[in-house]
Amino acid sequence: MSDHLSHELLSALVDGELAADQLARVNAHLADCPSCTSGALAQSLLKSATARTGQRYAPPTELQSRLARMVRQEVGRPPESTRSRRPLRAMPGLGFTGWATAFALLIILGGVVVLERNLQQSTAATTEFAGLVTEASDQHIATLAANLPPQVISSDRHTVKPWFQGRIPFSFNLPENLPSDTMLEGANLTYVHGHPAALLLYSIGKHRASIFLMEKSSTELADDSVAEHAGFHVIGFSTADLQAIAVSDVDTGRLSQLVSALKGAQTGDKR
Amino acid sequence: MTLLPWKRSAHQSAHQTSGFEGLALPLLPSLYNVAFWLSRNATDAEDLVQETFLKALRGYASFEPGSNFRAWIFRILRNTYLTSRTGLAAMRTVALEDELGEGAESGMTLHPEGAIDRRTPEMNMIELANRAALQTAMEKLPPLLLEVILLCDIEEMKYREIAVILDVPIGTVMSRIARARAALRDVLQSSNALTRGFRA
Repeated sequence: MSDHLSHELLSALVDGELAADQLARVNAHLADCPSCTSGALAQSLLKSATARTGQRYAPPTELQSRLARMVRQEVGRPPESTRSRRPLRAMPGLGFTGWATAFALLIILGGVVVLERNLQQSTAATTEFAGLVTEASDQHIATLAANLPPQVISSDRHTVKPWFQGRIPFSFNLPENLPSDTMLEGANLTYVHGHPAALLLYSIGKHRASIFLMEKSSTELADDSVAEHAGFHVIGFSTADLQAIAVSDVDTGRLSQLVSALKGAQTGDKR
Repeated sequence: MTLLPWKRSAHQSAHQTSGFEGLALPLLPSLYNVAFWLSRNATDAEDLVQETFLKALRGYASFEPGSNFRAWIFRILRNTYLTSRTGLAAMRTVALEDELGEGAESGMTLHPEGAIDRRTPEMNMIELANRAALQTAMEKLPPLLLEVILLCDIEEMKYREIAVILDVPIGTVMSRIARARAALRDVLQSSNALTRGFRA
C-alpha cells in the first residue's frame, strides 16, 4: 500500500485535531491498515508517556511567594502623586497610652505573621506531598511494568549502599534487620521532582515495594503522612536530613513495618 | 459615583492586581516546568519566569479581557527565552538544521513507508515505561521541537493556541509536532538497539 497515513495525520489524530471529514477518512484507512493502526497506537502511547515524563519540574515554594509579593508591590504601589513626601518625624504628645497601644498592635501583628507563615508552610507541605505521591506512584507502576532488573541487584545492604557513592549528593543507611518475609531486591538511581533519589526495591511476600529516598526539601513533609494513589498505599516520612516515600500494594501495616525499619536505620536505631 | 482621577487610577490598579494574580499565579507550575525544560537549569528557569511575570504585569493593561491569557503569557515566556543568553545560544545551534527541516511540512511523510512503526504495542509499552530513556530523548530535542511537545502533550494546548504562542501557521505547528514525535521515537529506538547490542 503506497498511501499510508503521514506522521502529521497520525499526530493530529492522537491530538484530537482532525476535522470530521478527515477523521472519517483516517478511520476508514485504519480499519484496513494494520501498519498505520500500529503507528497510531505508538503515537498515542508516546504522547501519554511524554506527558508523564514532561511534567517534571515543580517551582520552589519561595518563587511563588516572591512572585506574589512582586505582583502586589508592582501594581499595588500607589501612584506617584498620592505618595506622601513628608519625612517621618516624632509625634508630639504620644504618651504612655499611645506607646502601649503601639506595643499591643505590634504583638498582634507578629502573631498574625507567625500564623500566616505556619498556614503557608502547612499548605506547601500538603501540596508537595501530593506531588510526591503522584510521581512516586507513577514511577512504581512504571518499574513494575518495565519488569527490568534493578541497576544494582543485591539483597546485601553493604553492596547496595556503596553503589550510590558518587551517584547521589547524600548518603543513607539500610536496616540490618528487616520485617519477616521482607527482602531487599536491589536499587535504581532515579529522579523525583528533578532531584536525584535512591529508589530501593523490596519484596514483601509476593508484593513489591518501592522506597524513594531523597534530600530534604525546603518544605518538610509531615511525618508518617499516608495517602492512597491508584490503589497503592503511600507513606511519607522525614529524618533530620532526608525525606522518603514508600509505595506498595501490600497492606499498610506491613509497609509501615518496613518504613519503621528504614527510619530506624537513619537514626541509628537497629531494632 | 464618579471618582476623582487619582482615585479612579488607584481603583483600577487594585482591580488589575487581583485580576493578574488570579490569572497568572495558577499558571506558575506550568510556566516553570516549560522554563526549566527550555533553559535546562533551575536558576535560569526562575529568572525566566520572574522576567515573564514582570513583563506580563507591565503589559497587562494591553491584555484584552476575555481573550486567552494562558496563550498570552506563554508567548511572553517564549519571547523572553528566545532573547535570553541560553535561548540565543540554543537557537543559534539549531537554526540551520531547523530551516532545512521546515520544508518537510504540508503533509509530506518524513520517513519512507517502511519506517512506519511495525513493532508490537507491548514492545512499545515496555520502551515507553522507561522514563529515563524518554527524558534523555526529550533533552536531545532541539528547542523548536521541544517547545511544541511541551505545549501540546504536557500543557494539552490545541494547535490553534500553540500557533498563537509561536506566531506561526497551524500547518507549521502540525508539522513540528510530527517531527518532534518522529525524533523522539528515533532516539528511543536507537537507545534500545544500543541496549540490546550491549546485552547480546
